[in-house]
This record gives sequence, structure tokens and C-alpha cells, in this order.
Amino acid sequence: MARRALIVGAGAADRIAAGLSADFEVSRQPGATELDLVVWADYPAIACRPTPIIDLTPNDWDAACDAPLRSAIDLARAVHEPLAAAEGTIAFLVPLMASAGGAGYAALAGLGEGVRLLAKSLAKTWGTDGITAHAVTLDPHAFLAAGDAAGIAADNSLHDPPLGRIPDDRDDVAPIIEWLASDTARPLTGTSLVVDGGLWMPG
Amino acid sequence: MSGLLDGKVAIVTGAGQGVGEGIARALAGAGAAVVIAARRAENGEPAAAAIRERGQAASFVRCDVSVEADVRAAVDHAVNEHGGLDIVVHNAVSPPGPPAHVQDVDPDVIRAQIETSTTATYLFARAAHVHLVARGGSMILLTSPAGMEGSGNLPVYATVKGAQRGILKSLAREWGPDGIRVNAIAPVAWTPAMTTATEANPTLQARLEARTPLGKIGDPETDIGPVAVFLASDMARHMTGQTMAVDGGRYLGL
Repeated sequence: MARRALIVGAGAADRIAAGLSADFEVSRQPGATELDLVVWADYPAIACRPTPIIDLTPNDWDAACDAPLRSAIDLARAVHEPLAAAEGTIAFLVPLMASAGGAGYAALAGLGEGVRLLAKSLAKTWGTDGITAHAVTLDPHAFLAAGDAAGIAADNSLHDPPLGRIPDDRDDVAPIIEWLASDTARPLTGTSLVVDGGLWMPG
Repeated sequence: MSGLLDGKVAIVTGAGQGVGEGIARALAGAGAAVVIAARRAENGEPAAAAIRERGQAASFVRCDVSVEADVRAAVDHAVNEHGGLDIVVHNAVSPPGPPAHVQDVDPDVIRAQIETSTTATYLFARAAHVHLVARGGSMILLTSPAGMEGSGNLPVYATVKGAQRGILKSLAREWGPDGIRVNAIAPVAWTPAMTTATEANPTLQARLEARTPLGKIGDPETDIGPVAVFLASDMARHMTGQTMAVDGGRYLGL
């Protein structure tokens, strides 16, 4: 029987959905009664464009940070029972600016670090329900336009991933997320896994 | 630390009680004129009066930190009453509610926690920037150890406190060229909520202290306040984007 995955968001979320193996039956909206895997990467476009914080209107800020943060919490509440029914895994994709900061990305970094801490908090309480929770931290290329991501790397003097390239969301990251949802990874929960070819090595 | 902040003007949110009040008293003791920004006058007025009774400068402004007009009014009050704005300490946060798993948290608590944390940080950043630029000022956010290690009992609180750390690091990068520093304090200290919890559970204080290398829960004014004074002063002029855990060594794994 296929395992059931819910993938929320666009961009990196689309590429993860495309990269999961045929073992998974992917849905893009909540509603299933059992879920083996939930992946959240619902970063709105407005958060992924560099904008000084003083140039954001209150409506912009809500759209870029607060509303998606509320949505991520609401999603967690909605998928608790389906995840518990299947003893599944939830993973939040996080841009590295959440940990390292990025000029023009206060809303994105706030949202990203918020969901990273949500993942840790879920891990602490949902373990007894058989659910594991993780953050998967990715290079800014997974979330930003190429030129903007290159600017972030340049700001941090990061140019050469030790493994030679930035991982591809579909071909490299999706299998790692699938592994997090596997029996082999059951002893892991609450991790912040950095999947970036060794470029940043934060913390 | 007397004199470290002479001539400076600070706004401290949520300063009618607890950690915010302690920080306000410490900043005033170091020479700053302090604006007590609090939602309730019955707390905020006495907190400001107590500082004035020490011969130091303080005033109260009613402020709901999630309301843009209130935030702008607080900033305007600092500039009009005290001549400028050098330091913004955003400490206020709505009550996190009783311990609960995320699926059981009251939706109103979720909304209020976000509004008083991330929304308010944005509103103060936007309103204060022009003044902080003019005087090479700094912003200090009160986060929490929960915002670094997560919290099973207060998952939404941990989420918003983590979010504030993401915002602060980006603001540190964004505002560094403007000469504005942005840092955070993650305290474990006596607050009204802590007092209520320990009164309800007589063994809690002893258990918390036993797990803290320095053996006590921090005092808002004398343990947490001096760190805020340091971060706001020129002594910390080469520090930005940092979170200082002021917790008696309670969370060494962060």
C-alpha cells in the first residue's frame, strides 16, 4: 500500500513532491485521515523578495511573516491526528537565513526560524504519539531567485560548497526527507538537518 | 553602571511589571530617560513613578504593542518628551496560556502571541528606525530559551520567540550599515507568571534552582537589567545579531 504524503507550499515544495519515490501517494491539501509524511514549505513570494523592513506595510508584513506563521501552526494542529494514526513524520523546510540572517529578509527569517522552533516543540510532545518532527535547512537557492540567493552567499563569503554543488531539491533533498520518514530514522526527532552540500555549516 | 547611558532615551515595552520593569529600572539607573510603554496604566504609571522617586527620568505611555498607532505614539512620546530615541527594548508578550500541546492551544492565544511578538517587533522596527539611525541607537528583543530549544508545554510561545531571533539576525545585517545594533536577551527570571507558578506549586522553585548552576532564578532588575544596560551601551558597540542567555547557566546546551 502506498504511503501518504501531504506537501504544503510551492517552489521547493513542488520539487520535493516531484522527487518523492513511487512509494508515496502525494496530496497537496489536508484532509487525509492517515498521513505518513507532511512537508511544509509554504513561503509566500513577498517574503522571498529582498525588501528593507521599513518599506514593508503592515499588510505586507502580515502576508510575508505573520499569516504564514499562523498557517504553519494551524497545519500542525490539523495534521496531528492523521500523523498519529500512521505514526508519521512532519518536516518543515527552512531557509538558512533563519539561522544566519539576511538583509532584506527579516520576514522570511522570522517565519523560517519560527517554524524551525515549531518543529522542535512538536518533537517534544508528539513523540509519545509516535510522530517525529524535523526542520530541514536548505541553502537560500531553494527559496529565492537565483540572483538574490547569490547575493546572500556573497554577503557571507560563501562560494564553494565542499561537495562541489548545492543539493538539488528534487534529486537530493527529497530522498533525505523520505529517509527521515523511514523506519531507519525513527530514533531521530527534533533535528535541524542542514542539507546544503556543506556550504554553511552553521551553529 | 551609573552614567553608562547618560543622555540616552529608551522605550521599554511591557515595563509595567516583571522583566520589562526590571530592565526599565536598570536602564534608568544607568542614566537613561525611560519610557514605560505598557498596556495598562495601573501598572505602567506606578512603574514610571517609582523610577522618578529615585530621582531618575521616566514617563508612562499607554501602548498596545500590536497596534500600529500605539507604537507610533510611543515613539513620538519618547522624542517629544525626552528629546530623541536611542534604545528600544521590546519585552512585551501576551500571556502564553496554560501548558498545552499545539493542537489544544486556544486560537486566540495563537493570534495574540504572534501579534505581540513578530508583529510588534516589525511595528517598532519600522517606527523607530529613523530615530535610531539619527543617534546610532540599538534595539533589544526579549526572547527566551524556549525560542532556541523549543517547548513542549508552550509550543506557540517557543515558535514566536524563535521567530523573533530570525528577525533580529536579519535586522542586524540590514541595519549594521546604518550604525544600529540589534541584539536579544533570553532570560530566566522572576516574572508575575513565574511567581504564580511557584505559589501554585511549592516544590517548583526548589526544582528550578537545583537545575540551575548559579542556583537561583534571576532578578529582573539586578540580574537581567545589567545585561540590557551593557547591550544598550557603547561597551557593546561591536556586538550585533547576538542572543545572550541570562539564565544562571540553566540552558547550557543552546
